[in-house]
Amino acid sequence: MKALIKYSLHDYLRSHKYFPPISTFMILIFVYYSYTPNPIIDSYAVTALIVYVISAWLCVSVLSLDSHVQRQMMILHIGGENRYYLSKLISVWLITLILTLYAFIYPITFGMFNESVSLKIGLVSIVNHIFLSILGISIASLFSKVITENAVNSYGGLALIITISLATLGIYDVLPTYLKNIIWIIPPAVGTQPVLFNWNGENFLDLLLFPFIWMIVYSTILLYLFLRLAKKSQK
Amino acid sequence: MEKLIELKNISKVYTDKKNVLRNISLTINKKQVIAILGGNGTGKSTLLRIIAGVERPTSGKINYPNKTIKIGYVPERFPKNIRFSPSEYFLYMGKMSGASKDGLTKRIDNLLHRFQLEGLKNQRIMELSKGNIQKVGLIQSILLKPNLLILDEPLSGLDFEAQGELVKIIGELKQQGTTILITYHESNILESTVDNTFLIHNGNISETETTVKQSIKLLIIRNVEKSVVKDWGGIHKVVEKDQQLYLYVSAKESDVILSRVLQLKGSVEAVSTVTLDEMERTI
Repeated sequence: MKALIKYSLHDYLRSHKYFPPISTFMILIFVYYSYTPNPIIDSYAVTALIVYVISAWLCVSVLSLDSHVQRQMMILHIGGENRYYLSKLISVWLITLILTLYAFIYPITFGMFNESVSLKIGLVSIVNHIFLSILGISIASLFSKVITENAVNSYGGLALIITISLATLGIYDVLPTYLKNIIWIIPPAVGTQPVLFNWNGENFLDLLLFPFIWMIVYSTILLYLFLRLAKKSQK
Repeated sequence: MEKLIELKNISKVYTDKKNVLRNISLTINKKQVIAILGGNGTGKSTLLRIIAGVERPTSGKINYPNKTIKIGYVPERFPKNIRFSPSEYFLYMGKMSGASKDGLTKRIDNLLHRFQLEGLKNQRIMELSKGNIQKVGLIQSILLKPNLLILDEPLSGLDFEAQGELVKIIGELKQQGTTILITYHESNILESTVDNTFLIHNGNISETETTVKQSIKLLIIRNVEKSVVKDWGGIHKVVEKDQQLYLYVSAKESDVILSRVLQLKGSVEAVSTVTLDEMERTI
């Protein structure tokens, strides 16, 4: 799998397709921190959402690199579809890890906060970024070329789902009581936001863990679904 | 003979309801070179993809007695838009298959030399000519000496030297225990290498006699009844068109058949050599 991950990252670099999502990400971070000082936890909560959106974009972009025949040959070389698709998803995740580090280090390096970042806040913020990037990747995998051949459906469908997921809290407020449970099927991208906004950053035990766990459970379900559907669509 | 793959009642129906393969059963043994022939769109490539495991049959079963079987596959159309040079690409593919870098580098250099790609090894594949891209497709499939090598139209676009090299490599691989499944059109270069030939027609597969592999003559005759000629030996197919009979006969028998036609006071309008594919297309 290591060889395919290297191949995918190398190929992505050469394709120059990374430029739109990565440059958008850097501009968004730059614009967000154009005013100083900023509250640490709230700022990191917002940049984690930026990572979420860009991760989805990166995933669709990376999974569109190989043609159908190239994919078939690589599956033969690597010894199975699951290995192929997992390698591709890990490649995307490695790129998002770099974005996470950038989002974390940028405000510290350029003094965008009025206090120093404690270990606890730093750790929780990084975990939130990583979990949201995994969620973004898992959603986007279902809208990638592997499953959705049509580019309009792929990018359009993904943009719609991402927008709905970002507006979840507002949607929840306007829904009638008997429909509020519908919120569970929407990707839980903003579930950790209120938890982080209300956290004082001093004690891990004050942090409600459920939204974080649910995000990973939700992502795992989507990734499992992706692997199943990808196998079907391949054949 | 030791069994390598067994296909049981394989059928393939595409979403447009096109039934490409019908109930195909086939046993492929080790150390064999098998040609699968048939006209365009008869399902040869589909069958090869199913055997390679990159496409699933609609029904039926494939058994691989050796579960760790290594399969090399050359698709009919090798992807053109690869952003790596042949050297980089082969190194990645070889590593993906689990080969170590040292052995792989030697093998790559050797194959690049044999297929005369040495001078182009650092040029990106997407910038190579069709024939050279086809060579890249071939090399990637034999990097690791597979147990089964599947070649879908490997000769198309290859120059004469490369075709000869491929025939040599097929012979070497067979000696080393590899089974080779191959499809080709309009070429006799592989006929001496092939052990068994199967013909796909209307979704069904049948083993053909060796004579079918040899060149076929088309005799266009007049003034002879179809019912008279249809039982003659050496005739593969008879087609009636515009009061003429098109006889597809084996080259060996063509002289005998021609003299019989003349004895019956028939007239010979034309004689030409055709390929199996051309014969299939007339169905």
